Amino acid sequence: MTHYMTPGTDTHDLFENLRMELRRGSLILAVLAALRKEQYGYTLRKTLADQGVAIDEGTLYPLLRRLESQGLLVSEWREEEKRNKRFYHLSAEGKVILKRLLAEWQSINSSLDGIV
Amino acid sequence: MEPLNRYLNAVGKGLPEAQREDIIRELSEDIRSEMEDKEAELRRPLTEAEQQAILKRRGNPVLLAARFRQDHRSVAFGPQLIGPVLFPFYIKVLSFNLGLTFIIIATIFIALLMGGQNVTFHAVLSSILLQLFIQLSAVTLVFSMIQRHLNRYPDSWNLRGTGVHLDLKIDSSIQSALRGSGQVPRFESVSIIIASAIALVWLAQVQRHPFLIFGPAAYFLKLAPVWARIYGPIVLLTLLGMVQAAINLFRPRWTRFRTLTQAVLQAAGLVVLYFLLKAGNLVILADGVAGSHVAGYSRAINLVNQGIFYGLLVAGLISLVQVVLKIAHLIRGQRNMPPLPGVDVKC
Repeated sequence: MTHYMTPGTDTHDLFENLRMELRRGSLILAVLAALRKEQYGYTLRKTLADQGVAIDEGTLYPLLRRLESQGLLVSEWREEEKRNKRFYHLSAEGKVILKRLLAEWQSINSSLDGIV
Repeated sequence: MEPLNRYLNAVGKGLPEAQREDIIRELSEDIRSEMEDKEAELRRPLTEAEQQAILKRRGNPVLLAARFRQDHRSVAFGPQLIGPVLFPFYIKVLSFNLGLTFIIIATIFIALLMGGQNVTFHAVLSSILLQLFIQLSAVTLVFSMIQRHLNRYPDSWNLRGTGVHLDLKIDSSIQSALRGSGQVPRFESVSIIIASAIALVWLAQVQRHPFLIFGPAAYFLKLAPVWARIYGPIVLLTLLGMVQAAINLFRPRWTRFRTLTQAVLQAAGLVVLYFLLKAGNLVILADGVAGSHVAGYSRAINLVNQGIFYGLLVAGLISLVQVVLKIAHLIRGQRNMPPLPGVDVKC
């Protein structure tokens, strides 16, 4: 069966889907790397955005919860500037996983450099 | 209530209960931090409009809450009808409707039993299955339409009034109509046309097949003659409602026309209701029922009549309040608006 793609919107949607897929894995890496230093949600979002990795709270907070339930992050509620904030940082296991993921990412990167 | 609390309340409704408080605390902290940053930048407190703009950028609270849920169940018959975002609400509404319906069915059958009637398992089961089918179809249809709307217009929500609203509520379009600046959503017009068409078919069939309204109780129940007298006016009012919806489908800016027509039709409906309430007996003993059970059936019929009477009375009072509110809003709108408001004759 021949599939005819409507130019414009369909191409845009396809690109967006692929871009999201590409970003999904990278976001985890970025979040883990950024949390080598303890931060709370809002400052983490700002840090990532400042580095060009913008992430909305509907993506970030569920991701933080998932990473915490997987044992890669540790969090605690603490008062700062008279307000309770939830601070996150990498767990011992998270540090090991991050190191391995970074090695893997660098390996993929150098392979891709060779291809493209 | 300030916009942030309204927004968080709306998000909270869609969150898993066990994590709700924790997630809301964290989201609240995130949004407050952003607002504080903005205030520091502007060197003044944010206005309500600016707070709302920040919240609007955060996205639809229903969609935001769905991102935190692990439950990704959906309803699909081939294409997906109800996605994971609306699924928990669909289940809640369906459970509530079915629960209420089963309580009513149980009350009817208990009344029949108390009236000395022989209630069979088959009769109970067929009533339950019929109601299950009707409720399931109706609720699924409504939610699949909402899902379609949500897919097409994910940012169609607002923080007006005391809560967060998806812009597909008939009430919100009435409000916009009363302000004279809005449009009648096509979703609403199409829904009215479809619902009215179904109601007309049902009205026509129920005359010949009382089972559709009474279930197995149609063996000894039938509609009183007063229903035949008001059948014509009910059909006429339903048709007029469809005409209004069809006009608004092509002329969505005719919002005041919609409000005025609905107020008139609702008032006419109240007249019909008056005749029904005046008639007293709304269901009577079916033809051919005789013998020793007649007395028991009569007691059951009295109970059913009382139930319908009070039900209609409450419905009538609610409708009366709605008519008065619509007229009051129309008058208020007339005073506050320039000449020929609402009805865009250029459309």
